[in-house]
Amino acid sequence: MAFLELDHVSKRFGGHVAVEGFCLSVAKGEFISFLGPSGCGKTTTLQMIAGFLDPSGGAIRLDGRDLARVRPARRGLGIVFQSYALFPHLTAAENIAFGLEMRGVPRAEREARVRDALAMVGLAGYGERHPRRMSGGQQQRVALARALVIRPDVLLLDEPLSNLDAKLREDMQIELRQIQRNLGTTTVLVTHDQTEAMALSDRIVVMSKGRIEQIGTPHETYERPASAFVSHFLGKTNEFPAEVRPNGSGRVLVAGSCRWPAPAGPSGAVTITVRPEKVAFADGTADGLAARIANRIFQGNHWLFQCETECGAALVVRQNNGERQPAEGEAVRLVWRAEDMGLRRGGEA
Amino acid sequence: MSRNGPLSLLFHAVFVVFMLAPIAVVCLVAFTPEGYLSLPVNGFSLRWFRALASYPEFIDAFWVSLWVGAASSFIALGFAIPAALAVARHQFPGREAISALFLSPLMIPHVVLGVAFLRFFTQIGISGTFPALLVAHVILVFPFALRLTLAAAVGMDRSVEMAAVSLGANGWTLFRRITLPLILPGVVSGWALAFIQSFDEVTMTVFLAAPGVETLPVRMFLYVQDNIDPLVTSVSACVIAITMIALVLLDRFYGLDRVLAGHSDRSS
Repeated sequence: MAFLELDHVSKRFGGHVAVEGFCLSVAKGEFISFLGPSGCGKTTTLQMIAGFLDPSGGAIRLDGRDLARVRPARRGLGIVFQSYALFPHLTAAENIAFGLEMRGVPRAEREARVRDALAMVGLAGYGERHPRRMSGGQQQRVALARALVIRPDVLLLDEPLSNLDAKLREDMQIELRQIQRNLGTTTVLVTHDQTEAMALSDRIVVMSKGRIEQIGTPHETYERPASAFVSHFLGKTNEFPAEVRPNGSGRVLVAGSCRWPAPAGPSGAVTITVRPEKVAFADGTADGLAARIANRIFQGNHWLFQCETECGAALVVRQNNGERQPAEGEAVRLVWRAEDMGLRRGGEA
Repeated sequence: MSRNGPLSLLFHAVFVVFMLAPIAVVCLVAFTPEGYLSLPVNGFSLRWFRALASYPEFIDAFWVSLWVGAASSFIALGFAIPAALAVARHQFPGREAISALFLSPLMIPHVVLGVAFLRFFTQIGISGTFPALLVAHVILVFPFALRLTLAAAVGMDRSVEMAAVSLGANGWTLFRRITLPLILPGVVSGWALAFIQSFDEVTMTVFLAAPGVETLPVRMFLYVQDNIDPLVTSVSACVIAITMIALVLLDRFYGLDRVLAGHSDRSS
């Protein structure tokens, strides 16, 4: 049963189409991410759920109730903005209490809930501070507590972590996930950061140019990208031009000097896609794509190889597991398992 | 931190002296025992301050100035705040025209304004009254109140208001609890600038003043037309003293930088 439902939602600004035919059902307690580059319509969609923008078409339903006629102040959604949007003239505790005050929660209960909310985000004792005297991470926590203390039906997060430095962002990701799991709040996260989306979400909605490219679990979208856009946006992908030819009674997939039994699907010019970490090195006698190591970059827990193959440039990522790695300039063969390889119609990479 | 070289220090010193010299001279001359304006002053006397007591019209004019300045600035803000919010956040037909109209009093010479107001007020029969003076000053100071309020409204992070709305605030509550506090530094600066503008104004006000409805600058202007004696310097010295006290108090309790620059960096 869908808790939050977006039914063919679209938004146009004048002649510009920002969101088109957006359909999504979010289950209660689910953590959904809208992932895409800037301008893909993800924030617009979030703002339509929040009620700051009216959809040009389609319907948004929350728990079966059409939100079109519900004013944003009455939707009961918690929102965390990229800029945190804390009230600068109020203390942390007053910020968090604001939503409760608007709901007419009596003072005693208000104070108890604010205390609990501060404790939940690890800021017990910081209630009397003003936002400007808190660090970015602390402000972020206050914003989260302020959105959650009203026990919203849906928590909307608009790029909430993008202003934090890398280390803090990772910590906050874990914490955010923990809090969301504990409370079971249905959450929609807007982000352009694929690792963040993958780390946090139950499902990811990958968007491009106002349209949904794919909806799926992080693992699905990464391993089985529905389009070239998705495979490029989620991590790195090697692409090799190839061809599927008839061969006697069957068909064969040919790329450079390599051939595989062709899987069912397209014929003619195709593109092979394979993730860099799925590629292994074999010595020159093996049956694989002939390549030469152009650059070898050490990145701590793994090595990054830029290779020149007979079918164009390729990236290879190998674990730094103590094994000997090929040197720059060395001739190698690139091999991978047939099931790690994707096939797309069309020869252009 | 870069340091100033000797030449630039000299320049700044000369600049400051040049700016302050008239004020210093006026204050010095105010203490003259002579019956005419003279510098250097020979001797020290409070004669011209005592003389103020026998010219109650200066005291009255001071109060009129204060009231007109304060009231016109408040009334101007009452229009400037909604206007600034509308112009800052909405796109509507005629938006540019309205902004230009709001700022137009700045572009009209005060003499022209004065003549126009005099003609208009005479026509409707309120010429020479306090309300007439007030209306004229509201229009005169409105652009100043609007400019700074508008700057604050434009610079405001809209998502803060959105956050308040998502938490259930609406309409008047939203304005009173969130929007107004956020633009308050601009509003206070706007009020201060509007007040100074009104308090200073002679050229237009001289057309609208009547006995009993005279502002201090107009009274002084009219006085020096007939008399050349140090009384105006003692009046000036009093105004300078009051201004300085007000500035010191303002800085102590609110922060001068916030008023003049519209910043809100200090914690409140």
